[in-house]
Amino acid sequence: MSPEDLPDEELVALCQNGEGRYFEVLVRRYMEKAFRIALDFTHNTEEAKDLSQDAFLRAFSRIKQFDGRSSFYTWFYRLVVNLCLDHTRRKGRVVWERLEREADNPSDSVELTDNTSMPDEEAIAGEAKRRADLTLKAMPNKQRTAFLLRNHQGLSISDIAKVMKTTEGTVRVYLHRAVAALRQSLVEFV
Amino acid sequence: MGRSGKLETACRDFEEDLVLYYYGEGSGAERSRVESHVKACSRCSRFLDDLRKLLPQMARPEELPQSFWDNYYREMVGKLAVHRERSTWWRSFFAPMRLWVVPAFGTAAIAVLAVALVLGKGGWSFQSNRSQQNIPSEILTDAKQLEFFNSMDMLESLHVLETLDSTKTESRTSQSS
Repeated sequence: MSPEDLPDEELVALCQNGEGRYFEVLVRRYMEKAFRIALDFTHNTEEAKDLSQDAFLRAFSRIKQFDGRSSFYTWFYRLVVNLCLDHTRRKGRVVWERLEREADNPSDSVELTDNTSMPDEEAIAGEAKRRADLTLKAMPNKQRTAFLLRNHQGLSISDIAKVMKTTEGTVRVYLHRAVAALRQSLVEFV
Repeated sequence: MGRSGKLETACRDFEEDLVLYYYGEGSGAERSRVESHVKACSRCSRFLDDLRKLLPQMARPEELPQSFWDNYYREMVGKLAVHRERSTWWRSFFAPMRLWVVPAFGTAAIAVLAVALVLGKGGWSFQSNRSQQNIPSEILTDAKQLEFFNSMDMLESLHVLETLDSTKTESRTSQSS
């Protein structure tokens, strides 16, 4: 059996026994998901790359602390999400200033800088995306996290509850509020 | 553009369930309860349609070229190698010590403890003499007074001794007779 075929648990056990090179298989397996989560939070490719790679390094250095009570990916997702939330908090002020500027002058936003040459549908899609991004950014962190993990990453409510260290009922409430807010802000694009 | 005007909401009791239904969550019974309600309720039906139109668009990931992922993986492997190198250096620094450091430290600790006990014992008597020498005269006077009070206590209990003595004498007299 090649290392690529080994389940997460075995790869983690090998890493815990000093076979650190097997961690590279976990990197290949989860790099896209980790990067996508970080990109959902940051909307910046370079930042998303740095954050997701930091999460891998953190997971590697803490691999011996992983006790197998949850699955590796839940544990790893928690690392990624926590790093993203810390990053968002640190950058919160800057982001809000940018959002306010964009709200005052929508033509400053990256998506719409070249919309004069866009066909109508693309322009509408761009505007809808911009509105959705603004709504997501303005959401409380927990609502946004629950929504991104469910809608963008496809995690189940039960896994989101493990990642966020909360109950499934609370995740349902976060998800409902996030979806209701997004529908409200995007209904004109339906 | 889509519809405008006042946003129509779903039924209050069903809105959260509709979101969960859209995401494929909930038990079979819960899902069939939502399905039968949606068939009968136009507001909830429209809410569910909105979710079906809006939410997949938001989740559509930006396509990135394979070269991006190759580069990402290569960078990551490089960072892991540096990380491993650092931790290996750190471990190798302590590794030779690890074999003898625990017994050596234990022996040293026992030796220090033994020396402290031996010296401490001699030093204790020395210190106690020294401490007596250092006691101020007022306190020494007090100590003498304490002896005096002790002897007073004995005097107070003298009648008890006398009683005991007389009892013994009586018993001897009765034995001899």
